[in-house]
Amino acid sequence: MFHLSQMDQIFLKSLADVVRTSRTTSQYDKLTFTTQTIADIKNELQSRQESVRYQALLKLFFLAMEGNNIRWAEFQIINLMGSGDFQLKLGAQLAAHLVIDNQSQGLIMVTNVFIKEFKSSHIECSSTLSCLGTIANKDLSDSLLSHVLKLTTNTKPLIRKKAIAVLSKIFTINPLNIPGNLEMVIQQLQKETNISVLACGISLFCSIMKVAPKLYPLFLSIVYDQISKQKSNWLLIKLVRISNKLISLEPRFQGKLIEHYTRLLNQTNSKSLQYELIYSIMRHFKNHSQLYESAGDILKQFLNHQDPNLRCLGLECLTHISTSVGLMEFQEQILESFKKSDYFSKLQILQLFKDFTNQNNFQTVIEFFLKYSDMESNDKIIESLIFIITKDKFINVDDPEKLLLVYIPIIAQKIDSIDNAIRFKELLFELLTRVPGLKVYSDQLCNQILQTYATQSDSLQGPTLNIVKRHTQLKYSLNHREIIFKSLIMIVGESVKLLKLEALTNIIKFLEQLNILNCYESSLSDIDSLLFKIYIQIIKSDPENQIIPQMEQLIKNIYTKLHNISIVKISFFYESLIQIKSRDQLQQLYNLFEEDLPPINLEAQKLIKPPEGLDINKSFQIDISEIEKIKNTNSDYIEQKQLIQQQQQIEQNQGEQQDQNSEIQIKVENEEELKPLNNKIDQNANKIFIINRDEELPPGINQDDINKFKEEE
Amino acid sequence: MIRFILLQNRQGKTRLSKWYVYYDDAEKVKLQNEVHRLIVCRDTKHTNFLEFRNYKIIYKRYAGLFFALCVDVSDNELTMLELIHLYVEVLDKYFGNVCELDIVFNFNKAYSILDEMIVGGEIVETSKQVIINAVKNIELLD
Repeated sequence: MFHLSQMDQIFLKSLADVVRTSRTTSQYDKLTFTTQTIADIKNELQSRQESVRYQALLKLFFLAMEGNNIRWAEFQIINLMGSGDFQLKLGAQLAAHLVIDNQSQGLIMVTNVFIKEFKSSHIECSSTLSCLGTIANKDLSDSLLSHVLKLTTNTKPLIRKKAIAVLSKIFTINPLNIPGNLEMVIQQLQKETNISVLACGISLFCSIMKVAPKLYPLFLSIVYDQISKQKSNWLLIKLVRISNKLISLEPRFQGKLIEHYTRLLNQTNSKSLQYELIYSIMRHFKNHSQLYESAGDILKQFLNHQDPNLRCLGLECLTHISTSVGLMEFQEQILESFKKSDYFSKLQILQLFKDFTNQNNFQTVIEFFLKYSDMESNDKIIESLIFIITKDKFINVDDPEKLLLVYIPIIAQKIDSIDNAIRFKELLFELLTRVPGLKVYSDQLCNQILQTYATQSDSLQGPTLNIVKRHTQLKYSLNHREIIFKSLIMIVGESVKLLKLEALTNIIKFLEQLNILNCYESSLSDIDSLLFKIYIQIIKSDPENQIIPQMEQLIKNIYTKLHNISIVKISFFYESLIQIKSRDQLQQLYNLFEEDLPPINLEAQKLIKPPEGLDINKSFQIDISEIEKIKNTNSDYIEQKQLIQQQQQIEQNQGEQQDQNSEIQIKVENEEELKPLNNKIDQNANKIFIINRDEELPPGINQDDINKFKEEE
Repeated sequence: MIRFILLQNRQGKTRLSKWYVYYDDAEKVKLQNEVHRLIVCRDTKHTNFLEFRNYKIIYKRYAGLFFALCVDVSDNELTMLELIHLYVEVLDKYFGNVCELDIVFNFNKAYSILDEMIVGGEIVETSKQVIINAVKNIELLD
């Protein structure tokens, strides 16, 4: 310890100097400044003059607030907490929470300091209690409990209220301290008249309810007593809050509160008290119609209020209405409030409707949210709407046709995220699986949605693939439009058999006309598959061969753009094979492979020398009788195999037909509505597939074979 | 229960912080940054409450300063807003037309006032006069 001379004191920096210097120092010089200041503080803390040490303490506090570590000063600060000078003591107590924590080794010293301070004047005791309230931990609480309890009987209300507030923390940290000590506090509070002390007492009871709720009978009477006579809003708010918790533990308490709640609800203008009352009434007083109605009226005021805070709190109260009938009463106000709300309030409202939408308000809810979605909340709105639609296997949906044709296209237009696109896809699949009669509308749905995509310019500019660079590797992921496009294509493909000829041709024209192929590159295999299915269906549905040539041309145009003509050739060729039922046509093909393989061409052997001993002019087929035997066995096998395959094909067709009939019977209502619109399923599947393009004939077949076949037909 | 109180300016500089629950130093810095980031971008049409981890942040802006309280989910939001306003009124009465610089240069006084209103995370006094009197009594002893 040293004594600063008068000269030195002139150059001593005060707190204000340090603050000014810190604000004006540049970032680069900050470290130098801080280091210098800390060095000065270390010296000043050892001074004998209290004013110097006080200034040093405040400067230290300031440096800690700037983000510097001052834990090295723990011992000095604890030492100053026990100082004789009140100013120093106070400064040290304010700074204590910066250096003392649960793991501090100086906590043992602090206990004795506090015990000594509790015996001082009421102002010093009060500041010590404030400090204890901030730094209390388990060890400190256990050591000081008895001293704090004594302070609850102090003559000064300042000390009593702070002592009770500290007790609240002590009991929370170590609930084992409650039994035996709580009764003493309750006895004090029963005689208490000061509102602040009573309020601290109620806070104490709230803290005890969190850690030891079964002790509620000890303070039930005091809470009831206070709620019947208190007028202070701060205290009433705490009383109503604790009553709310008590009602869940003791339902009989509810009856006693009706009269007081009614009185408070009618008399008070304080919004915070009204909110607390409404919150409690909505949760626990549903059976008391008069009180519930009064609370409902005030709740409506909250929902219509200009202040967004009150609207948000009104919505919070509504979450406690557990029935959709109850919520319907407030539906209009909630929807009005949605228009003015911020993002978080909108999420609250969406959650409410996710839980409480039913068949009665389904259409209203869907139409409203589709109309009032904005950029910020669009994603969440769509997610909620999809949830509402699919909830409990479409329990809210009473008109699936309207859903599919009116709401779903609008939802598809508003989707702008991959997650929602995937949800939308699952919604569509599930809806069409559960309501198979709707599949006839799949072309309409497809056209409606894709038409919108086509008219929006960005869908025609460049691909719809998102290129995502991850770890220096380029990875491609589908965007939301592509996901929806793929799902629509798949649905149409699955529903091809139910669609009219006109619808099918429109789809092909649509795909060809709008140049979608350039945009949806990763869906080309799906488009190929769809075109294939449509083409087969058209062949079945057009026995007079009126539109097949036109369709073939359109499909050819599409494939020309795709540069996949080889796929067309092969796929058309094999499809024609499957469709051909006559053995003779197949026999022609067998003839291809029946004849002996020709010997190796001499020209081919110019470059590759045949192995020694091999006579290239000799036939491979040495044992003719063996070959004949194999051939006969094979031909029987082939014949039987063909018969088996034909039988299987017939059985499969019959099975499909039965499945379709049973699906139609299950959804009787949909069938009755959709009967006039449904296609007749074409039973006659024996359409012959004709290739009329010479240049596209595969090797081994010539035009004469085809002409011969046609004549036979 | 109040878990912590923060006074921050628009640049994210913390002028006052009081912690009623134990957090280590790194966690405190992280919390301050997180809270500032959440509240600085909100405008007047947003509510003054928002969810933060398993708690709530109730904040109010006065000129260039944000007063933010982190409280338990069960606490009354409007009460906390009132408390913030009460604190500002007390500061205003004490300093006379309070501004940010008053808090910068007299932070110890601001902490003293706060300690008269909140102890251990619980509100102990709501009367402006009682709070001012308590602070003046402390000054007499200084």
